[in-house]
Amino acid sequence: MKLVWQNPLTLIGFIIITSILLLAAIAPLIAPYDPNAINVKAILLAPSQLHLMGTDGLGRDVFSRMLYGARISLMVGFVAVGIATLIGIVLGAIAGFYRGWVDTLIMRTVDVMLSIPTFFLILAVIAFLSPSIWNIMIVIGLTSWMGVTRLVRAEFLSLRNREFVLAAQALGAKDFRLIFGHLLPNSLTPIIVSSILGIASAVLVESGLSFLGLGVQAPQASWGNILTDGKEYIQFAWWLSLFPGLAILLTVLGYNLLGDGLRDAYNPRSNQH
Amino acid sequence: MLMPTQITRYIQLWLIVFGICAMSACSNGEDAAKKLKPNYDAPHPTSLGGTMIDAMTGEPSGLIAMIAGESAASAIAGNIFNSLLKYDKNLELTGELAQSWEVSADQRTITFHLKPNLKWADQRPLSSADVLFTWQKVTDDNTRTPYGSDFKLVSKAEAPDAQTFRVTYAVPYAPALDTWAGLHILPKHLLQDQDINNTAFARHPVGSHYYKLSDWKNGQYLKLSRNPYASQGQANIEHLLSRIIPDKAAQFLELSADNIDSMALNPIQYARIFPSRPDLSKNIGLYKELGNSYSYMGFNLKRKPFDDVRVRQAINYAIDKQEIIDGVLLGLGEPVASPYKPGTRWSNPSLQPYPYDPNKARALLREAGFSDTNGDGILEKDGKPFSFEILTNQNKEREMTAVLIQRRLKEVGIEVNIRVLEWASFLGRFIKPKQFDAVVLGWSLSLDPDQYGIWHSSQQAPGQFNFISYSNPQADKLLEAGRIELNPDKRMKIYHAFSKILLEDSPVVYLSAGYGLSAIHKRVKGISSPAPAAGIGHNTYEWFIPKAYYRNEINDQ
Amino acid sequence: MASYLLKRILWMVPLLVGISLISFFIMHLAPGDITTSEASFNPKASEESRQKLRALYNLDKPVIVQYGLWVKRLAKLDFGTSFASHQRPVFWQTTDKDGNVTLGMIQEALPITLLINVLSLLLIIGIALPLGVISALKQNQWPDRGITLFVFLGFAIPGFWLALMLMYWTGVQHSWLPISGLESMGHENLTWPAQIWDTLQHLVLPVFISAITGLAGISLFVRNGMLDVLHQDYITTARAKGLNENKIIYGHALRNALLPLITIFGLSIPGLIGGSVIAESIFAIPGMGKLFYDAVLMRDFPVIMGILTIGAILTMLGNLLADISYAWADPRVRRGVM
Repeated sequence: MKLVWQNPLTLIGFIIITSILLLAAIAPLIAPYDPNAINVKAILLAPSQLHLMGTDGLGRDVFSRMLYGARISLMVGFVAVGIATLIGIVLGAIAGFYRGWVDTLIMRTVDVMLSIPTFFLILAVIAFLSPSIWNIMIVIGLTSWMGVTRLVRAEFLSLRNREFVLAAQALGAKDFRLIFGHLLPNSLTPIIVSSILGIASAVLVESGLSFLGLGVQAPQASWGNILTDGKEYIQFAWWLSLFPGLAILLTVLGYNLLGDGLRDAYNPRSNQH
Repeated sequence: MLMPTQITRYIQLWLIVFGICAMSACSNGEDAAKKLKPNYDAPHPTSLGGTMIDAMTGEPSGLIAMIAGESAASAIAGNIFNSLLKYDKNLELTGELAQSWEVSADQRTITFHLKPNLKWADQRPLSSADVLFTWQKVTDDNTRTPYGSDFKLVSKAEAPDAQTFRVTYAVPYAPALDTWAGLHILPKHLLQDQDINNTAFARHPVGSHYYKLSDWKNGQYLKLSRNPYASQGQANIEHLLSRIIPDKAAQFLELSADNIDSMALNPIQYARIFPSRPDLSKNIGLYKELGNSYSYMGFNLKRKPFDDVRVRQAINYAIDKQEIIDGVLLGLGEPVASPYKPGTRWSNPSLQPYPYDPNKARALLREAGFSDTNGDGILEKDGKPFSFEILTNQNKEREMTAVLIQRRLKEVGIEVNIRVLEWASFLGRFIKPKQFDAVVLGWSLSLDPDQYGIWHSSQQAPGQFNFISYSNPQADKLLEAGRIELNPDKRMKIYHAFSKILLEDSPVVYLSAGYGLSAIHKRVKGISSPAPAAGIGHNTYEWFIPKAYYRNEINDQ
Repeated sequence: MASYLLKRILWMVPLLVGISLISFFIMHLAPGDITTSEASFNPKASEESRQKLRALYNLDKPVIVQYGLWVKRLAKLDFGTSFASHQRPVFWQTTDKDGNVTLGMIQEALPITLLINVLSLLLIIGIALPLGVISALKQNQWPDRGITLFVFLGFAIPGFWLALMLMYWTGVQHSWLPISGLESMGHENLTWPAQIWDTLQHLVLPVFISAITGLAGISLFVRNGMLDVLHQDYITTARAKGLNENKIIYGHALRNALLPLITIFGLSIPGLIGGSVIAESIFAIPGMGKLFYDAVLMRDFPVIMGILTIGAILTMLGNLLADISYAWADPRVRRGVM
């Protein structure tokens, strides 16, 4: 673990992520206003002591919306990646462990899924389910499990014939125990790294969906829809795009630095210097 | 307020963050200052020539309006094709291709007399045979047009001579003349042995109006040039270039950089950005006119409790329309009390919108049986909380409107959820099968007052336009009478009475009629201001660009 | 190897059928069809006419029958014509009896998207290669950290936000670059070198925006690949033999570290034709992303299916290419993939 923190970038990533998580967690305590409180008399006010990040087109306090938006944006990332990772582990484990026709079936399904643009899948599912927060998380999750599946399968393939696995098998361990007791724990690091990087992508996907008007629904705030609102005012109300843009930037950066740092730290070869 | 230099600093700050600071060592905004500053306000004689560039968000799918259907197509095709009739600047019908027309005593037959010596842009004569051909096409079952139904009411159409076109209706049809003002006449000689649905003509049109299409780069622009054989005389501006720029923010950047001459503005750009940017206002004129549409919240009258008029009125009282106009439209709109454009003959001047009166709303809800029995702030009836969902499509202004309504209704104890949908799902999944509580939408105001399709009780089938299922025998009777009454004064009384019933029934809450806002570069002269009833666009052919202000086209030196 | 290739190519047929079936059904799962567009929501357009339209497009038939009709047309390599823009063929140009040529939608959009993506890929490689090598050589020192931070910043910044900023700065403030579109007014009057120059100027921002987000992937890939190779025995041996350090790095390490990049390029083929709807909307570029997005919103089924099918074929070819080249580059993997 000590190794990880030797890289200042990883530390920076960790600090960014924990502070954003902390801010999101205590949002109700520090938000000066109700994030959805409308005040038509105070629209598009520039940042001031009263409104740290100004107000938006309906006079809502941007700072409060950013704090509550953090909860939504981060939750979208976590849940979506959780779903994708779960599906990926199950399918990848089955494919990598049993091989044969199951493997072929699963991997060809992965190929099919990768051949259909994610955006099309998302759009079709959202058109059918309508874009609520939960649906967005589910959709992003259901359309991004392919990478994890490939990863887990590859890990399993390489671990499958290692001595400790063969030994356990010789001692009569059941498939279930082999998978969850031996193979999976030994593949955990790359899975965690890919999940951390996945969260970063999910945050970006959410902001892209908001740009297309398919993101989190009004009046609920997410960084993506605050930023998209701000786009129209970019020449006038700069605070509406600067703060959410910066928040997305920092979060995605933080997750990437952290994920990359972890990967480096656990990749033995890169550390022989 | 953010001045240009502040924006520069803001952007440069970010560029520094991104590590591209090396480039930003240059001057801020001095290049712009070096440009010549002509005095656009000086008087100029009319001149022929020049190019006017505007921007649109969508590309026409073709230029045969009856088939293309979308607004981008109508906007361009309207410069290329003529109709028999048109609306003048006071919104009165007048002849376009027709010199005159008569309505028979039994009000069933209309005879149009075409102007003499009309020509297509390819110099072939335009005659009543072309009009008859167009009518045959629009009513043909194999033509993929959704607009045929009005013309199928014509029981007989004939062209007794080259200058005369006559249509006979089975029963008098008051909106008939309006429909002929909306049908672009197509050239028979080019289309008679073509499949109109996928003919190349749609992309190489030949019309009779001021302009002809000279270039169409897919996804980039359409360029129109003056038609020397135009039926209505000559327009002043030589070329109209319509650039396709899907993103409104990018359009505004192009306008700021003087790369386009005109675009439609949103209220923020009009009311906030322009006043804070004297450098823009110096070169660009702003125009505002009452638009041809209104926004409303409509109830699904088949669902409880919206079948109760007291509930609908209560909600109407509980919504602060002025707040929506101020908040969403930044004051750039007017309240409406009838489905007709305020200030026109059809709009009943004695009607007033429901005032914002939450107490009256609460009283009406109590009367309708709603009370907050469990003290959670939400009203209940028969143990069920009053909670419903507002549906709307992806439209920033409608979304904001819904949020404002949500807040006001909460204050009288009604819980509202909002759902925003992409258009095709909105229509296909919710409106057609009538799976909704309430919608926030807009209707365009046609110039003819007939709104049979929207309000008549017979028009409720899935896919028809009375999707809120409004049904009132009195209103039905008036709508039927209005369709066969050709006398404008009598017709006006009918629709005034109809509007009054509609307002009392409150099947929809009228929210506002927004202004159409446009920015046009000051090099373009001859624009009527203030805008007449028909809007600034009524005389675009009279607009001109003084020679001194022609754009420099890039050329090989 | 030959039998493996054959197997993979044979596999493509059922995969293609699977992809087209899934796409077709997903497409019909979403509510609405071409007749529920916003333009049709006009009281002048009657429901009766819309039903008629639906029949003309065969939309009233069961989905499986519609699929059959589509496959039948596709068997003759006919991708059909667009519903929304009736006159335009989906894939390739047609000529009517009067000799009017109508260009295909994909035919027009694909080269634009390809041009932008290829330019941006070249830019990415041009920047990411040296960055990756420097990173690896200065591992865990400040150049490495700085480069890592820089490429991740590029990845993390919301693209449309950066795009609008740059458009304002380079287009409105300074008139250095055109803001949007592909051509200036009067482009057609220019000589061809001037036309190319004009278009290139229009492409600067879109290519830059597209490249900056892709930098992180390639540069980290090169860095980690280099690190892997630099610690291999043969490099250590070469060092021990006293071989010139530059020769070791550029002659051996880099070459071996770059081999897996082939895989990345194979996998990026679908990305090359995909286009980005957001960037294309902002820059007003009529590429594949916008074409597909508009088709989905309009429920323009022939266009959706055309793009998906062509995309799927290219993706599978790309995957195959990637796998083959990977197996060819690294014999250890060969057993694993086959």
